[in-house]
Formats: sequence, structure tokens, C-alpha cells
Amino acid sequence: MSDTELTLRVNGQTHQLHISPERTLLDVLREEIGLVGAREGCGVGMCGACTVLINNQPISSCLMLAVQAGESEITTVEGLASSAGLHPVQQAFIDYAGFQCAYCTPGFILSTVALLRDHPQPDNETIQAYLAGNLCRCGSYENILAAVKACSS
Amino acid sequence: MSLQFLQPETLAEALALLGRDPDENKIIAGGTAVVLMLQHKLIAPETLISLSRIPGLNSIHLADDGLHIGSLALLREVAASGMVQEHFPALAYACEVVGNVRIRNQATLGGNMAEADYASDPPAVLLALDASVVATSAARARIIPLSEFFYGFYTTALEPDEIMTEVIVPALPANCRMIYLKYKSRSSEDRPCAGIAAMAAFDGLICTDLRVAVGAACETPRRLLEIEALGIGQTLTDELIQEIAEGYAAGIETLDDLRGSAWYRTQMIRVHVRRALKQIGAGRPC
Repeated sequence: MSDTELTLRVNGQTHQLHISPERTLLDVLREEIGLVGAREGCGVGMCGACTVLINNQPISSCLMLAVQAGESEITTVEGLASSAGLHPVQQAFIDYAGFQCAYCTPGFILSTVALLRDHPQPDNETIQAYLAGNLCRCGSYENILAAVKACSS
Repeated sequence: MSLQFLQPETLAEALALLGRDPDENKIIAGGTAVVLMLQHKLIAPETLISLSRIPGLNSIHLADDGLHIGSLALLREVAASGMVQEHFPALAYACEVVGNVRIRNQATLGGNMAEADYASDPPAVLLALDASVVATSAARARIIPLSEFFYGFYTTALEPDEIMTEVIVPALPANCRMIYLKYKSRSSEDRPCAGIAAMAAFDGLICTDLRVAVGAACETPRRLLEIEALGIGQTLTDELIQEIAEGYAAGIETLDDLRGSAWYRTQMIRVHVRRALKQIGAGRPC
């Protein structure tokens, strides 16, 4: 088989892989590296469940080939917490119950981390525009909005 | 044989690779469209040639013939560009409303155009801007006006051995106003059901130039020059605007999909051409 060699930098760690080039980043993160925080929802880039950060910018890992990410710093939800505890955005989602089933939660949290990096004090309109591409089918949007606002500096 | 993924370091290298077997090779820019097509087995190339390592293909700069936008500029970069915002705010807006944040972080302007998906925002605006694309092969570079670029569903004037390297947007006339209206029929992050780009230049109250492009409601973005001509040299009264809107509704063959029937889209073209012209006629540019 014509697997290709690939080095991925994920959450600060380097992974040497032999994979087929048509595999998506989502698939490789989950099946080869064992990071299952990014989930497949729609599979077409609309729902946001597979959100990861590439050089601090959110993308849909279902729409990117793993081989496209070889020169980037990839962050998944597993990379947010530190020895000091949960990331403030993670803690806020717990404090404000910004989820029900939580399938969408890693995507929302990573999108929020990126939002707050670009807009430390976002108004409601900015939050809603930025997060419009993350869908929560439980409908926890009010609580998610409260959690995001609580993180605004 | 399974897929190969190549990352040439220069445009010349990419063109040489592509030219070896254009029918079996496929260019990948951001990948939002190509990866979906691969996943759904709509395409089965032997080789993907990535443009991501080629330096300079995402540059945005002003030249004598207009603003040059590198084909690899991300939609986010086009939307955030100070030059685009200053000279062509409707284009910045159209790139800002594509898909969602993640799509705009990955998709490129060149990829958006080369894919030629009808349900998209930037093509209608660029058509109304009289933009052109630069198509480069190993043998030559040629400029294709956007009015001659879109052939049909997912089909363009690009030859199999060509790579789109730039989009060129010429300066707008003086005293003009421009707007892009994105009409969505389902949800806030949806693709357009219809997109209307309109530009009008004025000398006092007289309209001296008028361009109206309709996208997403039809197979390719369309302008109707004979209908645009109704407005030139005239004052854009409510009656004249209605006549132009009726002309666009009658003159464009619309399509059916989950975002609306052909009949519905015809009505939406009428409504949104009217609204667009009223807004720019009243001095409220995008």
C-alpha cells in the first residue's frame, strides 16, 4: 500500500505516523492518535463537532486531510487543560451547564477559545456570529452564551 | 494505486507536476471542497497537488489594473484585508458570510471560484466587480474575464493543465455604491438561496453605470446587460427599479434545490434586486 509518512504536532506532542493520504485529520486524530474529543457530526463542515485549532484558528477536521496539517500546531480539546486544572473556558461550560448530551461541547469550547483570542470582550452579536457554525441539537444555546460571556475579560 | 499527496515548493514545480498527467492530477488549495468530493467518491484522482507551500500565492496587493488577490488567500484573509475593505467592501462582506468561521479559515478565494459551486457568495460579487482571473499553465498565463469563466455546474474555463493564480479586481467608477444581499431560506449559517450583487455609479441623481449580478439561484452567476442598460442615464425611480427587478426575474432560468424551488427563486430575485437597488439608490452602501 502507498502509505505516506507524516509527522503531526498535536497538543505539543509529536506523532510519527504511516497513513493513507486520503484519510481526514478527524479520522487520524481519533483512530491513530487516540484523541476522541473531536467527533464526527455532519461530516460536511457545518456542525462544528469536529472542530480543532490549526495554529490557533478553528477548522473542521472532517474537511481537512491529515497530510494537510503536517506543518501546523494542532490543538484538540484534550490539549486545553494543564496541571493547574481545566482551561477557564472548560470550567465556565461546567459552571453554566453549557451542554446537555455534550457531543458538541469540545467543538464549542475550542471555537470559544479562538473567539476570545481574537475578541477578548465580545458582545452578543460577535459571539453569535462566531459560533453560528457550531450546532447544539440539545438546544443549550442560552447556557453556552452565558458561559462564553463569563469568560470574557 | 492509492492516492499520492504532493507539496511542490514553487509554482513552476506545481505546473510541471500537473502537466504530466492533467486528467489524473487534481489541485488542492484549502481543501474544503476537494476533501468532501474525495470523501463522497465524486472524484478519484491519482495525485493531489497541494499549493500550500508555494510562496506568495496568498498575497493581496494593489497594481495599476486593480487589486490583485492571490488565489490562495483564505476567505478570512480577504474579508479582513484593509485594502479589500477600503476599495471593495461588498467583496469583504461576501467573503465574511461564506459558511462559518472554520470554512473561512480553510477555504481560499481561488478554490471557491475554481470549484464553481453555484451556491456560493463571492462569485456574484466578483462578477459585478468586472473581475478577471489569471490562469497559468507551464506554457503561458492568460487572463479570463469572469463573464467568460463559469461554464456550468462545477465547470469553468480553466483547462486541466492550468492553475488559477490570481483574481484581479479593477477599480470601481467614481461616485458609486455597491451592495451584496445574501438571501438565506433555511438557517443563519446556510448557503445562499439567492445572492444579489449590485453596483451603481451616479452623477448627481443620474445613474451612469449599473451592474447587477445574481448568484446561487441559477447554474452560474448571471448579469443581464440589456436590463442593466435600462438604468443607465436615468434616475433610479421606484418604477424603474421595479422594471429592472422584473427584468431580472423574467430573464434568469432558476434552479430547484432544498433551498427553494425554481418558482420561489424567481420571486426572490425580483424582491432582492429591488431591495438592493433601493438601498444603493438611497445611498446606503454595504
